Amino acid sequence: MIFKRLALAISFSPNSKNLLLEAIRLKKLFGAKLFLIHIGEDSIENKNKMSQLISECSLSDEDYELNWRKGDVEDLIMDFCTEKQIDLLIAGALIKENVFKYYIGSVARKLMREAPCSVLLLTKGKDINKSFKKICVSVDFSQLSENAVKIAYEFAKLEESENLTLVREFQLPGLSSTIYEEENKEDLQKQKHDLLDEEKEKMKIFIKELNLNDVNVNYECLYGKQGWEASNWVAENHFDLFVISTPQRRPKLIDRIFQHDFEFVFKELPSSLLIVKTELQ
Amino acid sequence: MHLTSNDITIFIFSISVMLFCARLFGEVFRKLHQPVVIGEIIAGIFLGPSFFGLLFPELYSSIFNSSPIVEITLQGIVELAIVMLMLVTGLEVDLSIVFSQGKKASLISFFSIAFPMLIGFGFSYLFPQFFGDISEEKKLFFALFIGTALSVTALPVVVRMLMDLNIFKTEIGTIIITAAMFTDIFGWIFFSFILGSIGSSNSQHSIQNQIVTILIFILVLLFIGRKVFNSIIKFLERFTISIGGVISFIFIIGFLGAAFTQYIGLHAILGAFLVGIALGDSVHIKEETREIVQQFATNIFAPLFFVSIGLRLNFIQNFDLKIILILLALSIFGKVLGSLFGSYLSGIKTNDSFIIGFGMNAYGAMQIVLSLVAKQVGLINDRIFVSLVVLAITTSILSAPVMSFFIKRAKRKLNFIDLLNKDLIFFSDAKTKNEIIEELCKKVSSKTKLNYNLVLENVMERENQMSTGLANHLAVPHAKLKINSIVIAVAINKDGIDFDSLDGRKTHVIILLLTPIDQPEAQLKLLSDIAKFFNSPDIAQKLISVSSKEEVIVSLEQISKNKFA
Repeated sequence: MIFKRLALAISFSPNSKNLLLEAIRLKKLFGAKLFLIHIGEDSIENKNKMSQLISECSLSDEDYELNWRKGDVEDLIMDFCTEKQIDLLIAGALIKENVFKYYIGSVARKLMREAPCSVLLLTKGKDINKSFKKICVSVDFSQLSENAVKIAYEFAKLEESENLTLVREFQLPGLSSTIYEEENKEDLQKQKHDLLDEEKEKMKIFIKELNLNDVNVNYECLYGKQGWEASNWVAENHFDLFVISTPQRRPKLIDRIFQHDFEFVFKELPSSLLIVKTELQ
Repeated sequence: MHLTSNDITIFIFSISVMLFCARLFGEVFRKLHQPVVIGEIIAGIFLGPSFFGLLFPELYSSIFNSSPIVEITLQGIVELAIVMLMLVTGLEVDLSIVFSQGKKASLISFFSIAFPMLIGFGFSYLFPQFFGDISEEKKLFFALFIGTALSVTALPVVVRMLMDLNIFKTEIGTIIITAAMFTDIFGWIFFSFILGSIGSSNSQHSIQNQIVTILIFILVLLFIGRKVFNSIIKFLERFTISIGGVISFIFIIGFLGAAFTQYIGLHAILGAFLVGIALGDSVHIKEETREIVQQFATNIFAPLFFVSIGLRLNFIQNFDLKIILILLALSIFGKVLGSLFGSYLSGIKTNDSFIIGFGMNAYGAMQIVLSLVAKQVGLINDRIFVSLVVLAITTSILSAPVMSFFIKRAKRKLNFIDLLNKDLIFFSDAKTKNEIIEELCKKVSSKTKLNYNLVLENVMERENQMSTGLANHLAVPHAKLKINSIVIAVAINKDGIDFDSLDGRKTHVIILLLTPIDQPEAQLKLLSDIAKFFNSPDIAQKLISVSSKEEVIVSLEQISKNKFA
């Protein structure tokens, strides 16, 4: 079982019902326990709304645990995840926030960056009750990304996905500045092709080493800025889910101003996003 | 005052002579595997009063000193060339890499700047007499300049070295590139403050005004300009037919930035460099566009600048070995010590620290441009300028071989042949897969400090998942361990072992590969290289025909030479 304890943050937005339906589907898929949390007053009005939502989704009492908290939304959700030992937090997210919200940080963006567990962000385009057919996972060959690939693979197996694509971005910064030192432009192109071939070879071995045999696995190596290239590629190729590992250090405001790596993904989600949090050995 | 027909003829002729000599010397240096830039600087020294001008003074004068107006026109072209060079240099500085750097790169970047700056500043401030006649009022700015000049790094030279030494994609390579970019940004911004302070003493602007103006310019460029440029480039990429629109935009904005910094009393190159950084951060500039801009600036304009350095200056008269040696000592002491200290704090090993230190100690064109500006504003004289140019050339030539020495010592090369160790090669009569793996682990354990059980456990764990028997009589059992460097052991088995190999053949060559757990790419790269190396059954056959481990190494090296010749 890849995720045993799922949590869904419910905000009574128009998308709440879809999110709950998707959480129920994933709960069944993983055979996991589902926790629902609402940050706000447990007033009669809100309780009625919650009951209606739960009954509309045909969720029986023994299938979930409902929690009410009051206070700062992001902090309470994160504390809740720690307290209940949640291993996958599900939330809805806009594909793109407005500029102000992006820098200040919306609830979803804060959870992406700081949640103590894996996070699944479902964008509005996600067809409810349909499995993720095309899954893409970002690979940098690190142990964390190896863990993310393993989880993506297990997820793809359960979902009976059409394919699981491993995408590797690489770039040699400053390479263009050496064009002057080359005999001709072809030399530089050849060097890039050689590097691309080397990355492809590594990717083949990486896949072989992980023994990913039960799903149709593809791979793609992209030359360009880390985070940006993969994000665009995932959007262009209409993947249902993009899987990444949690950034090794907690992103700060400066990382949003001078974007790099997964900040490009967070700024404009290319698809639904699964951020896998695992521990290093 | 206007250019006569004769002036135009001489002007164009002199440009063609400069370009011809630059290309000629540049090509010679390329063939010698040295930076082309050095060839171009030497072309200028050859054409100038140090050699050609000395031997043929009249001919030299008629080409390069025929009339003041031709000289001024040439000077204008050279100024444009420096602005372009700095613009494209800025374009290659990747802010996302600088800001994504981890603790290791941050520490090394910081100390790679701080140490040379402090050492350069301290020495030249306390002992200015070693540099000739430095006046008391200039002493502070002079010392600050020497500190700055010793802290910069030439990115193109560094990138080229890392490529040649095959360590670009390693952790060390990334650290060096990140630190080089960081030192460039910091060095130039710091230098702009020095220039601003000097400029304020020569103009009606107060020093505070100058510094505030520079700060506002930098902040506006980095926080607003960068975003605006990115949006405009996105628009141009989408709505203009060719990449010409983006290229024009890059130069227009670059020149505007240069004009602005010149206007506020700094040098034009600072504006070009900073605008270059802001533009280069755009994710919408295609790699092809960058290459075209680079080629345009560096093939036509940059050579004119590099040749012009020696064209008007007598390098022989101004050559001062004492100053050169002092600067060389300060630079090595500062850069290497700074990197060593930063590396020590980051937990990087000594050999790797030396690789980083010498990698950062290549000044190249960056220091030359910096020195030229300092000469123009009267901070340094011709003697110190010549010494700094010689220092830039020397460090650009010396860094690669010194790095190569430490790379070999640190076994940093990710090359299968380079990693072979005679003591870890042996002939075996083992009959089974388990036996041979145990023998290999014992061999490694006896020759290194690695624990036998730990190695065996990890190797077997991997082996039990899926056999590591490959085709062509080869098997590569492997594991990732908490070790500092890569270990390769080779066993040759003449009778052959059943290793569940891909082609069903018996395995004769068994290579145990142990890689550090924090270098996951190293394992993948070496597995790929080894499989490619043994791409025919003949290679293993050849190895079982030899009788000593020395012969095994010789055979492997010979095969490697033939394969990659």
